[in-house]
Amino acid sequence: MTAFKRVDEAPVGRLVLRLFLRRLIDNDVISPHADRHESLAVLGALVVTLAVFVTFFISSEYLAAFIQLPGPTALSALSDRFLFISASIAVSALATLMVWDALALEPRDAAILGPLPIPARTITRAKLAAALVFGTVVAIALNAVPSVLYPMFLTMNLRGMDGRGIVHLIAGHATSVVMAGLFGFFSLLATRGVLRLMVGERRFRRISSTVQSALVVCTVTALLLAPTVRKTVVHDWIAGTTPARWPARPALWFLGANETLAGHIVAETPVVLPPRFSFVGFPKRQDEESRAAYRALAPQFAELAQRAWLSVPVVACLAIATFLWTNRRLPDQAAGSRARSRLHASIRSMARWLTEANPETQAGFFFTWQTLTRSAPHRTIVAIAVAAGVTHLLIALAASGVHRLELPAMPLGLFGINIMVLVSLIAGFRYAVTVPPELASNWTIRMAWLGDERGYLTGVKRTAIIALVTVPLLALLPLHVALFGFGVAVVHSIFGFMVATATLDGLFLGYRQFPFASSYVPIENPKLLWPAGLSTVLLVTYGFADVERWALQTTARTLALGAALAALLLVVKLIDRENRRERLAVNFDERPAFATQRLGLFERIVNYD
Amino acid sequence: MQARLEARELTKYYAAIPAIRDVSFTLEPGTILGLLGPNGSGKSTTVSLLTGLREPSAGQIWFDGRNITDRLVEYKARVGYVPEEAHLYTFLSAREHLELIGRLRRLPAHLLTHKISMLLDLFGLTSAADQPISGYSKGMKQKVLLIAALLHDPDLLILDEPESGLDLTAGLVLRHLIPILAARGKTILYSSHVLDHVERLCADVVVLHHGRIVAEGPVSQLRAMTQRNASLEDVIAQLVTTIDPARTAGDIADVSGLNA
Repeated sequence: MTAFKRVDEAPVGRLVLRLFLRRLIDNDVISPHADRHESLAVLGALVVTLAVFVTFFISSEYLAAFIQLPGPTALSALSDRFLFISASIAVSALATLMVWDALALEPRDAAILGPLPIPARTITRAKLAAALVFGTVVAIALNAVPSVLYPMFLTMNLRGMDGRGIVHLIAGHATSVVMAGLFGFFSLLATRGVLRLMVGERRFRRISSTVQSALVVCTVTALLLAPTVRKTVVHDWIAGTTPARWPARPALWFLGANETLAGHIVAETPVVLPPRFSFVGFPKRQDEESRAAYRALAPQFAELAQRAWLSVPVVACLAIATFLWTNRRLPDQAAGSRARSRLHASIRSMARWLTEANPETQAGFFFTWQTLTRSAPHRTIVAIAVAAGVTHLLIALAASGVHRLELPAMPLGLFGINIMVLVSLIAGFRYAVTVPPELASNWTIRMAWLGDERGYLTGVKRTAIIALVTVPLLALLPLHVALFGFGVAVVHSIFGFMVATATLDGLFLGYRQFPFASSYVPIENPKLLWPAGLSTVLLVTYGFADVERWALQTTARTLALGAALAALLLVVKLIDRENRRERLAVNFDERPAFATQRLGLFERIVNYD
Repeated sequence: MQARLEARELTKYYAAIPAIRDVSFTLEPGTILGLLGPNGSGKSTTVSLLTGLREPSAGQIWFDGRNITDRLVEYKARVGYVPEEAHLYTFLSAREHLELIGRLRRLPAHLLTHKISMLLDLFGLTSAADQPISGYSKGMKQKVLLIAALLHDPDLLILDEPESGLDLTAGLVLRHLIPILAARGKTILYSSHVLDHVERLCADVVVLHHGRIVAEGPVSQLRAMTQRNASLEDVIAQLVTTIDPARTAGDIADVSGLNA
């Protein structure tokens, strides 16, 4: 009998690491059915394009300046860097959330690697290494372009700046934003580990998706709120004259790190004026005052930087320790059974009642509900839509405060909260229905469908009306009661319901695909459609808010607006019914336009399939 | 007797590469037809055309005297299909998946609930019925597919490797079930690699090779074509095998035994 050979762990570990990285990209970041190279190329192009656009947009005031003074520039750059750092933390965290389930050993890992003669610790270490490589690559890839471009744009018109100074600025900026990105990644990894440790594996599996969605909402809200933070606010937060809000504090730590590393380079740049210009009077005084104000912040920068340097290792150690402890064994492959509570049963029977016992409407209703709550891409889309609505709510409340005012004096932003939240959710929902939860499983619906999409579509829309219109309206009602009083708040909510329902029906008027079962085709012209869509949403929201504020002042006007909205709703429903009276073929296999179409290169190729 | 299903010169190209060419056969009510052939012979393509999920590049499929492209939805309503690969919505439980299918097929709620409970019980899935399919084994997924195919009492059953992953008991149940369904007038197309099962279940077979039919007819006739007392496996081996299996097996064992 021969003794078992000892497996050499190092090469096996490298192989398993490569497997995890490959699967992280193939299964978790991009669709397993997509072309990996094409998807990665598109993703890379998107990151670079967005980075260039954002950097250029932020730097436009420096690029446009004829004479740029170092003092004001040093102060002004603080809020820019705050934005870069906040974005780095939030986007890294968001990328981490996209691979939330792959951040720990999964049952599929146990199924594939469990039978092989590989020690569990090798698999655990490889998984951790794959996660670390992912976090580091994301932090670097996100920040590489802005780290080079921003310091160059910032100092383009600072004539006293030399090449060595720019390199120093680039190094400082890159260090702080990459550290911030790593902080975002490790924070999420640590959150996951600590939570898993606290509640145990079985309960964690049950709450994991809810926690993931909640974190997506928080992260996207933070990302959307970051550009609204004004320059003076960042200065006051650093100086301590206004206490910084706690979500902004980590960004301030890394801002401190950046300023201690390279901030003085701009502040101490000598003024070099163009020929035939003299530097006297107000500009000189302004420059000196700004430099003095910047120098006065140096002790705070040092204090913040200390926290930054400390925070990354602390969070990283916590994340790694909890990861190693919670993943010390391969996970149990058996899935935990889902408890069927009395509440669950009563919700189901209520849902059956709402769907009028029509089987296809029930199919649409329940499948939509199950997809929105359980499919990872759909949860993410809804979470982003919720975040957009929450951001508007927070901005409107921050601008106006929760004060009871007379209706004519009530700010429009407060009237627009309902519509903005609802329209964000409906727009997100409209996009979500175009994404199949599992492309390869579409055949089941294609085989079972009996040719009339109307019942199914009614069920799909009914889920949206309950989950994305009624529930948010009820959640916002207490706020509106506090703002407007009970009567006006109820009428305001009813109007919101009518507008949201009309919008939902309107967005599905020309829809000839099968929700959640047609192949996904990306929007062809996002650079035109997205800004146009956003402008329309803002115009409709504030336009309607103005009309509603005017109408709610008298009973007659309120009734007239109610009648007008009811008529609008009826018209949209009638158009929808008329459109769908004639049975048109539903497109299950919508194909994107060929990339070479505009060049005419595809015309000579015959497609037989 | 009028043929229930008729494939007429089916041809399918994938980007100019032919997958099948001029495939024709008929199926009558109450019969079981075995579809055989090695990997890449065109079995799955033929099955996908017969389900209506793909359109043929040329040729037609007739069901009960009508071209299925004229009334594709009505045709699908009478077909039960078990695909080769168990692609299911893994975030649903078996019960939820079957409810979705049954509702889309407009089965009345009380009948659907009753049928699902009974079939889950008969296939031994009741204890796992409310767990997400993502945690199911291959055999459990296969049982869900079988239940989904039987839920609406179809006239035509298209089974592509239906025994894949099934345990011994479930496999035996399936082998008993198929003749019972045929005896009740159902038409069954049974595509499989397991020749022993095909030989036991199917009176007629169609053998595909490189996308073309190389033999068709009753199993007994195919045997007669080759040699006396030959099994179906021997017949298929003669028709489609281009290598010497014994020699290849020996080579595999030799390569496996290579050491550094």
